Amino acid sequence: MERHQSVSAVIETLNLNKIYEGAFRGQDVHALKDLNLAIKPGEIFGYLGPNGSGKTTTIKLLLGLIFPTSGTITIMGSRDISSAKVKRNIGYLPEGAYYPDFLRGEEILRYYGKLYGLRGADLEKRIDAAIELVGMTHARKRLLRGYSKGMRQRIGLAQALISDPQILILDEPTTGLDPIARKEIRDILANLRNQGKTLLISSHELLEVELISDRVGILFDGVVQTMGTIEELLTEREMSIEVSGASEEALTRLSGKGISVEDYTGEKMKLRVPKGQSVYDTLELCKAEQLTIISIAPRRETLEELFVRVVGAAEAERRQAV
Amino acid sequence: MTAVIDSFRGPWCIAVYTWREGMRKKTLVGFLVLSLLVIFGSSFMSSFLDPSAQSDMELKLIKDICVTTIAIFGMLITVFISASVVPTEMDNKVIYTVLSKPVRRVQYLLGKFLGVQLIILVNLALMGALFFLAIYLKQRILPTLLLWSILLTYFQFIIVSAFTFAISCASTSSVLPTIGGLFIYITGTLTEYLKDVFTRSGQTGELLDKIVGYLAYALYNVLPNLMHFDLKDQIINRAPNDPPTDVLIPNLIAYGLLYAITGFIMSYIIFRRKEM
Ligand SMILES: Nc1ncnc2c1ncn2[C@@H]1O[C@H](COP(=O)(O)OP(=O)(O)OP(=O)(O)O)[C@@H](O)[C@H]1O
Ligand SMILES: [Mg+2]
Repeated sequence: MERHQSVSAVIETLNLNKIYEGAFRGQDVHALKDLNLAIKPGEIFGYLGPNGSGKTTTIKLLLGLIFPTSGTITIMGSRDISSAKVKRNIGYLPEGAYYPDFLRGEEILRYYGKLYGLRGADLEKRIDAAIELVGMTHARKRLLRGYSKGMRQRIGLAQALISDPQILILDEPTTGLDPIARKEIRDILANLRNQGKTLLISSHELLEVELISDRVGILFDGVVQTMGTIEELLTEREMSIEVSGASEEALTRLSGKGISVEDYTGEKMKLRVPKGQSVYDTLELCKAEQLTIISIAPRRETLEELFVRVVGAAEAERRQAV
Repeated sequence: MTAVIDSFRGPWCIAVYTWREGMRKKTLVGFLVLSLLVIFGSSFMSSFLDPSAQSDMELKLIKDICVTTIAIFGMLITVFISASVVPTEMDNKVIYTVLSKPVRRVQYLLGKFLGVQLIILVNLALMGALFFLAIYLKQRILPTLLLWSILLTYFQFIIVSAFTFAISCASTSSVLPTIGGLFIYITGTLTEYLKDVFTRSGQTGELLDKIVGYLAYALYNVLPNLMHFDLKDQIINRAPNDPPTDVLIPNLIAYGLLYAITGFIMSYIIFRRKEM
C-alpha cells in the first residue's frame, strides 16, 4: 500500500516536520508535525486550514525555499527537489507576492520564461498564450507599477503557467480578486486539471475549493485533521425546510427548540432540521407557528461547515491539552 | 559544452535584470548625478569663469577633486548596490518566484553578483569618461594613465563589493551590509597602519605588546590592502599619458579577483541553506 502510493503520487511528503527556531529556547514554532501528503496526478488538491496552520510552510518546503527539520519530500519520483529537472515541471504562485514593478507585464513573463530555459519564438508563443489565458492581453505593455491588485495576481498566475508545467502550486490564488475574476480563475484551473495537470491550491475560499477540488485536506496547527475527496467528506446529509412569514418571536421560540435559521432571502428563510429530530416534528412546529412552507429539501454539509466543525474540534482538543 | 553554457544562461538573465532594476534606484542615480556634476563643475566651470587662470596648480587641484570624487562616489555606489540587491528581493519576496524556477541558489547568487558588477562598471565608466574628456580638452593629450587608474579602481571596488555582498546574504535589510561595506572599505585603506603597529610593537618586548603586534600582522596579511590600487598621486603629478609605475597590473587584477572569489564563496556558504 505504502509502496504503491509512492509510485503514483506526484508530490509526496513523509513524516515531514518543520520547526522554526526562535531566538530563545521555548520560542520555537513547530509549524508542521509529521505531515504525510500524497497529491495524485491530475487532481486538484485543496489545501485548507486557518491562518497560521502551516499551509505556506508546506508549500515553501515543497519548493525548497525553506528546509525540513525532518522527513522527506518526493516530487515526480525524485528526492532532489531543487534540481532543474524537477523544477522545470513546477509552476508556483506565491502568497501575496510582488513582481519587479519597473517591468511591463510581458517583460516579467519573458524574464521568468527565460529562467525556465525558454527562448526565441517558443518563449514568445508561451508568453502570448499565458497572457491570453489570464485575460491580461489588454495590459501586457503596461508597467506593473500601474497594475491593480487583481492584475498583479493574474500576472502572477501567468508566470506560474509560463512553462506549461505539469504541477501547479498556488498559494491563495484568488485573494484580492473580484467575483467575476474568481470565476474566471476557477474556470482556468478546472481547465488545467482537464489537461491532466496536477494542482495544489491553498485557499480560504471554501466555496471555491468545494467547487473545483477533487480532494481536500484540512490542516490545523501543523497536523492534517481530515483528508479525502469532497464526496467522502461531505456525506452528512440534513433536511432543510424553506418557509416564509416567520416573525421574530416565532423564530426565537423555534430556536429554543433547536431549530436554527441558516439562510435568509428577504421574506423567505431556510430552517435546518436538527439532528435526531424527524422532519415531521419540525413541520409540526412550523405549523404551530403558522409558517408558510415553501419547500423541503435534503442538503449536504458544506465544506465550510465541515471546516468549522473539524477546526473547532481540533481547537477544543488543543485547549484541553494545555 | 552546451550544458556549461546553459548553466550560465540563467545567471546571465538574472544579471541583466538586476542591472536594469539597479540602474533605476534613486539613491544610485543620485550618487551618479552628483559625482558627474562635481567632475563637470570642477573641470569645466573654472576655465569658463576665468580662462586666463590656467595654472599648473589649478590643474592639479581639479585632478585631485575628480579622482577623489570617483573614488568616493564610486565606492558609495558599490557599497549601496552590493548591499541591497539580495535583501531587496528577499524583502519584497520576488526571490520566491525566482528560486522556485529551475535556478540553483548558486546560479541566483552568481546572477545577482554579476548584475552588481555590471552596475558598478557602467557607473565607473560614465564617471571615468567625463573625467577623461575633461583632461583631454584641457591638455590635448589622451589621458591613458587615467584608463589604467579606472581599471585598477574597479578591481578595488570588486573586493569591497564581494564582501559587502556576502554580508548582505546574511541579513534581511540593506542597513547592516551597507555599514559593513563602508567598514571594509575604511579598514582596507588603512591596512598600512597595521604593518606600522607590527613594526613598532616589538620595541617594548612585553608579551601583550607582542600579541597585539602579531595580531596586527595577521590582519595585515589577511585583509585586502585597497591602497595598492591607488594611482591618485601619479594622476595628479604626472603627464596624462605616462605609463603607470610601481604597480604590477596583472598581479593586482589577480589579487582583486582572488578576494572577490573568496567573498563570493562566503556569500554562497551563507546563502546555500538560508531560509526564505
Ligand atoms: N519565518 C518564520 N519564522 C518563524 N515562524 C514562522 C515563520 N513562518 C511561519 N511561521 C509560523 O509557522 C506557522 C505556520 O505559518 P504558515 O505561514 O505556514 O501558515 P498559513 O497556513 O500559510 O497561514 P495563512 O492562512 O495565514 O497564510 C505559524 O504559526 C507562523 O507563525
Ligand atoms: Mg499562508
